[in-house]
Amino acid sequence: MRVLIVEDEQRLAENIARSLRESAGYAVDCCFNGEDGLFMAESNPYDLLILDLMIPQVDGVTVLKRLRSRAAQFPVLILTARDEKESVVALLNAGADDYVCKPFDLGELMARSKALIRRGKGQSAAVLRIADIEISTADLTVRRDGKAIPLTAMEYRVLEYLAHRPGAVVSKTELLEHLYDFNWERFSNVIEVYISGLRRKLEHGDTKLIHTLRGQGYMLRA
Amino acid sequence: MRIHSIARRLIAAVVLSQLLLAAGLFFVAVYFTHRQLLAAFDTELRGRAMGIAALVHYSEDEHPVLEFQQDTLPPPFERRNADVYEVTDQTGKLVARSSGVSSLALPTALHPVYRDFSWRGETYRALRLSRVPVLDREANTPAIDFLTVTYASPLSPVDRTIARLQLYIAGGCVLLLCVTVPLAIWGLRRGLRALDDLAANAELISTSNWELNPSAEAMATRELLPLTQAMTSMLDGLRRAFTQQREFLANAAHELKTPVAILKSTLQSLLQRPRSEEEYRAGLEQCLEDMARLEKLLHSMLRLARAEQWAAGSLQRDLAEIDLRATCEAAIDSITPLARQRGIEIRVSSNGPVPVRADSEDLELVWVNLLENAVCFTPPSATVRVLISSDREHGVVEIADSGPGIPPDELPRIFERFHRGDVSRSRDTGGYGLGLAISKAVVEAYGGSITPKSEVGVGTRMIVAIPKQS
Repeated sequence: MRVLIVEDEQRLAENIARSLRESAGYAVDCCFNGEDGLFMAESNPYDLLILDLMIPQVDGVTVLKRLRSRAAQFPVLILTARDEKESVVALLNAGADDYVCKPFDLGELMARSKALIRRGKGQSAAVLRIADIEISTADLTVRRDGKAIPLTAMEYRVLEYLAHRPGAVVSKTELLEHLYDFNWERFSNVIEVYISGLRRKLEHGDTKLIHTLRGQGYMLRA
Repeated sequence: MRIHSIARRLIAAVVLSQLLLAAGLFFVAVYFTHRQLLAAFDTELRGRAMGIAALVHYSEDEHPVLEFQQDTLPPPFERRNADVYEVTDQTGKLVARSSGVSSLALPTALHPVYRDFSWRGETYRALRLSRVPVLDREANTPAIDFLTVTYASPLSPVDRTIARLQLYIAGGCVLLLCVTVPLAIWGLRRGLRALDDLAANAELISTSNWELNPSAEAMATRELLPLTQAMTSMLDGLRRAFTQQREFLANAAHELKTPVAILKSTLQSLLQRPRSEEEYRAGLEQCLEDMARLEKLLHSMLRLARAEQWAAGSLQRDLAEIDLRATCEAAIDSITPLARQRGIEIRVSSNGPVPVRADSEDLELVWVNLLENAVCFTPPSATVRVLISSDREHGVVEIADSGPGIPPDELPRIFERFHRGDVSRSRDTGGYGLGLAISKAVVEAYGGSITPKSEVGVGTRMIVAIPKQS
């Protein structure tokens, strides 16, 4: 999953980014003004936008409205220092999905982010099930029959992304775009490495979970 | 303290004065009527006495003696108690006496001529006329004969008239009071209604309603005008102070949220998982940095609050004369490290000392704020110019940068609290958008002015004028 944070307080943005990377395993991009935020949000496929309202150049509400008017589908979580009912209602009506008031609890922000991403992908349970495998997005663990399957961080990210869209064909490009942040060089062959690692750890016997559709991508299906 | 009512006091005063007036009128009227009646009575009495005297004549004898012609007596004043009379000649011999009176118990020495006395249970008024000549004169009568006539008549007709008059006047007064007292009470209450209205209006004032809406009647009452005006201007001042405080508090609370959020997120992300000692150390150092920024914000906000309080006149200070140039130089000294870091030169020009009456620390703060902005706006290795001059009334400092300039639509907003232009938001200055607001508040507290002149792409000039005499 890939998240964009638009927050002018660099320290705050970094803290949120670090927390998202560590506790959710997301790829995170940060930018510090509205203009950059708009550009980034429009040129990359994000799974969640965390948007501060008081940002320079283009303010948060304008960013939100402009994105929504251009049919951006990803969920938007607003960071606000205001907590008056009117402004909250106005925000939600402008296309926001959720909001937290500063000073917020980082744990709560993580939980809300995860929930928004789940909803954005059409899922509602925090534990994703594929065949006999359980993926717990709360603590980033994968289990089979209650027994934890040790995955690397990147393997988990690939599996989580696929598990959020069961039965859908996910291209390698899509995976790359959603699993790496802006600063990473992307090589499509690394995806194959992670896929083969996942197959080795998750599949046994002749049950296939991750299907390869030649020239199209991958699909997770029981 | 006892509470008293203006309305009741006024009503009591009016009623009392009306009663006094009625009583005074009563006594004066009775007194004068009584005197008039007595005078008329006395004239009548004299006429009758003369009439009695006229009835005395000499007999037709050779030696005439005085006789009294009883059958032509005038009718008495009173039927119940008839008048009495007595006529004596100059020797004191009785000539005539009213019938039924054995010996008129009139006091013998009737002096003065009129005299009141009591007789047969009735008050009489008597007149004694001495040396009344006998009108009947013949050839053989004595040369001159004088009579002494005493005539008395009961006073009861006068008393009755007076009693009736008293009744009429008293009745009239009571009737008049019955009309005028309620009228006065009604008028007073009506007159005081404007005051009641004003009090009711004043009662409605609260922190959510600062409007004093005096009724048209209160506005049209001359005695209440100074009160309404004083209340309106006082409310205005209070509202401004209250709103300012509330806005400041709201702004402060709002603006504290972000630094607190930063601090909190730093600590929480530090605690998210076990970390190495270096990571903890780095985290704590970050927290300290965050704290330093928080502290700076708090300091700025307090400074702004103080400057505004001072401008509002609720804080007093003694001011010495200082040199404007010296304060600029001190400010430039403190900003030099930042300027050097950005490779910016600060150039000062002035034509000698400019004395102003101000607090040097305040002015330094203003220059530091303006210079900080100028240094942050100016591209590296450019120059910030400081021009110190003076006219007759003001010391003038102009700080000019060659930065990107401020768009005209943003120019009026740069002095708003917590407003931040884009460039000044660069994180290394840690600005919270209070610098210009503080500068403006301080300069205005001295009665000075701060004027921004900016051209996009050329630069910004901040012109500050401080009055020489505050």
